Amino acid sequence: MCHRWPPLAKLFAAIAMILAATCVPIAHGPLVGIVACVIFFAHTLARIPLAYVARRLLFFWPPLFLMAISLPLSQAGQKGWLMFMTILVRGTLSFSTALWLVNVMPFDQLLATLRRLRVPDVLLAILSLMYRFLFVLWDELDRMRTARAARLFRKPSLWATWRSAAHLLGRLLIRALDRADRIHGAMLARGWDGRSRWIEQPREDRP
Amino acid sequence: MHIQDGVLSPVVCAATGAIALGAVSYSVHRLKQSVADRTIPLTGMMAALVFAGQMVNFPIGAPVSGHLLGGVLAAAVVGPWAGCVAMTLVLFVQWALFSDGGLFSLGANVLHMAVIGSWGGHAVRLFVQRFIGDSHKGIVIGSVIAAWASVMAAAALFCLEFRMSWPPSEIDFSKVFTLMVSFHSLIGLGEALITGIAISFVLNQRPELVADAASVRQADASCVGHGSAITSTLVAGLVFALAVAAFLSPFASSFDDGLESALSQMGIADFNLTGRVPGVLEGYEKVPVPIAAWQTFAVSIAGIGGTLAVFVLAWLLGKALPAATPNLNSEAAGE
Repeated sequence: MCHRWPPLAKLFAAIAMILAATCVPIAHGPLVGIVACVIFFAHTLARIPLAYVARRLLFFWPPLFLMAISLPLSQAGQKGWLMFMTILVRGTLSFSTALWLVNVMPFDQLLATLRRLRVPDVLLAILSLMYRFLFVLWDELDRMRTARAARLFRKPSLWATWRSAAHLLGRLLIRALDRADRIHGAMLARGWDGRSRWIEQPREDRP
Repeated sequence: MHIQDGVLSPVVCAATGAIALGAVSYSVHRLKQSVADRTIPLTGMMAALVFAGQMVNFPIGAPVSGHLLGGVLAAAVVGPWAGCVAMTLVLFVQWALFSDGGLFSLGANVLHMAVIGSWGGHAVRLFVQRFIGDSHKGIVIGSVIAAWASVMAAAALFCLEFRMSWPPSEIDFSKVFTLMVSFHSLIGLGEALITGIAISFVLNQRPELVADAASVRQADASCVGHGSAITSTLVAGLVFALAVAAFLSPFASSFDDGLESALSQMGIADFNLTGRVPGVLEGYEKVPVPIAAWQTFAVSIAGIGGTLAVFVLAWLLGKALPAATPNLNSEAAGE
């Protein structure tokens, strides 16, 4: 049901929850618990599957853990562990909030909201183009990877892997820029004059 | 490389956010100024490319693999302003689509990867090219050095931000910094290698795609006048100085512990540096005092903030003084 909230409310709810998660001192255990409960409640309200959240957290924790563990390792006292817990708890809570926002707010809605918040048009035009062609480039990258894998008979050395991966990147860059040229041509053909125009979003979002 | 929410304190997040906002607004401003109708599709595609390019894995060990960061590469192709905007949008979309990085630490991430990566990387590349020349070799060497220096500069800034985020009493930061700096120097080497190979590949295949340094200098010169060569040298110097500061930061933080103990042995510390009242209580030494907290990271600030201050001063002086030698490029562009 969170999906149907007005977009601004969703955005500000997420910002408020992240603010709460990052500002509450870890020493006040009950307060942290309340914030965690609110976030968990928001997740259940939006019917986000727990398994999905758990899977995302599984990929999220290792880098944060590596960063946080350096603190207690470098000092013996209790202080290091307190900081370790603070970083882990705050990171986890704000990550889950962001995950909630990602799931209840489709990207085009986010764009429309940002536009209502008066983010410059140039930025939004670039952002929407980027979002449009991101998936095209991913598919392109996938095809190039498949082609590379099809040409390889054995596992190459580390240096060869790096070299071919960087060449893949360069080739993708060339293709992307060529595509940008074609898109630019197509935009010109449709009367593009460097100004972005937007179709007004209806006041009520989809029922 | 992404900083998550909760790692930095709200105050530091606000400060880095404000700096990043200023830098990105300036980039957007410059982008609007230079706006050809081609800029928007090109920048959007570049942002999408950096995003997709980060999916290309560069294996390091069995489970660990690195990937491109892309600031220097973006700046080399679309210029520093569009590069900075593209990298900022990449970081924003990574948060908005995948909740990578954080909302409040977005400012710090933008500062590290978009602003230092694109502005700083571009300035370093032009600076290096001034010595090696604008040949393909010069561009590749310049980008390699720029990629490495920009990552190290980001590491130094991160150390400073981390230091200011946590109460420095009782905590020994030198080991944390050593870990971070050695980790980042690996990332920096990887980034330098990837950027270098990718750029030399593009130069081989389609040399016209990489923004020609001479024309960039001309364009800059026609916009800003004589100051631009000085500005880019200053920015390059600043990035180099931060990169050096990254290596010094572990020593700096153990140094200020050493300084403190030396001062307290001499009996000076009790006086005006740490805010302790001399000779009232023996056990009072153990109690952290807010002013003592300031003193402990003063040395870090002195290291990096001092460098910053010197460069700001030099830049202001350079602005005030007329350029000593007329710039040939700007005259050519002024026609």
